[in-house]
Amino acid sequence: MNAILECANVNKSYGKTDAVRQLDMKLEENVVYGLLGRNGAGKTTLLNMITGGISPDSGRIEVAGLNLRPGDSPKDTCYVREKNYHFGGAKVGEILEMASAFHPNWDAAFAQDLLKAFKLNPNKKIRQLSRGMESLVGNVVGLASRAPLTIYDEPVLGLDVLMREKFYSVLMEDYAEHPRTVLLSTHLIDEIAKVVEKVYIIEAGSILLADDVDNIRSRSYMLTGSRENVERFTSGKRVIYRESYGSGSLAAVFGAIGEDEIRMAGQMGITIDGLPLQKFFAYFIEGSASA
Amino acid sequence: MATFDDGQPIFQQVADKIEDDILTGIYNEEDQIISVAQFARTFEINPATIVKGIALLVNEGILYKKRGLGMYVTADARKIIKGKRKDRFYNQLVLKLLDEAEKLELTADEVIEMIKKGKRS
Repeated sequence: MNAILECANVNKSYGKTDAVRQLDMKLEENVVYGLLGRNGAGKTTLLNMITGGISPDSGRIEVAGLNLRPGDSPKDTCYVREKNYHFGGAKVGEILEMASAFHPNWDAAFAQDLLKAFKLNPNKKIRQLSRGMESLVGNVVGLASRAPLTIYDEPVLGLDVLMREKFYSVLMEDYAEHPRTVLLSTHLIDEIAKVVEKVYIIEAGSILLADDVDNIRSRSYMLTGSRENVERFTSGKRVIYRESYGSGSLAAVFGAIGEDEIRMAGQMGITIDGLPLQKFFAYFIEGSASA
Repeated sequence: MATFDDGQPIFQQVADKIEDDILTGIYNEEDQIISVAQFARTFEINPATIVKGIALLVNEGILYKKRGLGMYVTADARKIIKGKRKDRFYNQLVLKLLDEAEKLELTADEVIEMIKKGKRS
């Protein structure tokens, strides 16, 4: 697979704070990725570097096969920021017109359909919009750009649940028909668990884990049972979270458990459930922080 | 089930959903199933994941591809699904039911009585 984006050993610090440290990332063509991290983990700093807004202190960033030099804007890329600080006086329709000039794959008819679907008035000024409507304008730009690399920073911030569902639904359908690489940066993990194929988990400026969502799901479990049996069963396994109550115990395990072992666990009175991505993320991050 | 949010891999849940739809008659044998794009829109699921779920069913002889047209339900689909789900029914549901019965100290006769009472056909 060809990479549309490659970051190698990228570093960025602000004063004494290392916002991004020795970060490696490789995004393949035509895959939807999630960039997951807590607030302050370095997500937006990373995105700003990828999209040329700020330069790394060291390391290499390559977009669509070209080295990104300081001051460059990456080619083939559409970046939908969390907040649009500029153009507050511009109308929604004017924003779309400007965006169409930057993006060679722009689909104007699709943009018009999206305005209707998201109930956006093209004559309204950006500063008159609610937080959610402003997010939607950015999302319309991201979708209609059909850019080979489309990056969204917290795309559903301020959106009600109906509009969020609509955004994911349109994104998935349009991606099926026009494959491209999408990077969704968010802390709303449950919502994007079925939308993204792969995730990068970022913590304290570095990538902790890069994997297929389904690969994580099929190798992460929540075990419950008596403390003694859970401890016996999990010995030698990678336990990312453990909690005891009375003589009972919970343990989250990362690493495949075979069918024979599952049967054995059943005989030991241990219940094994799958672990939703959101929980996995929380335990995994916490486990790495305390390690 | 249709929320696709339990701990199972999502491609597995996609395959289960299509199987459910075949068993309940939403799709009949030789029917075309919805396209990947429609599935992606309706359930907000990544198309690559849907393709993986469909591939699983193709391998098991439950779906087949008509070139240029789409995916279709095979003539044997229901038989195949019922066969493999019986194993799962025993392993996942019956054994779980018996575990729960044991916790409640129900006798086998009491469990059988309950099953008879609840049985609809």
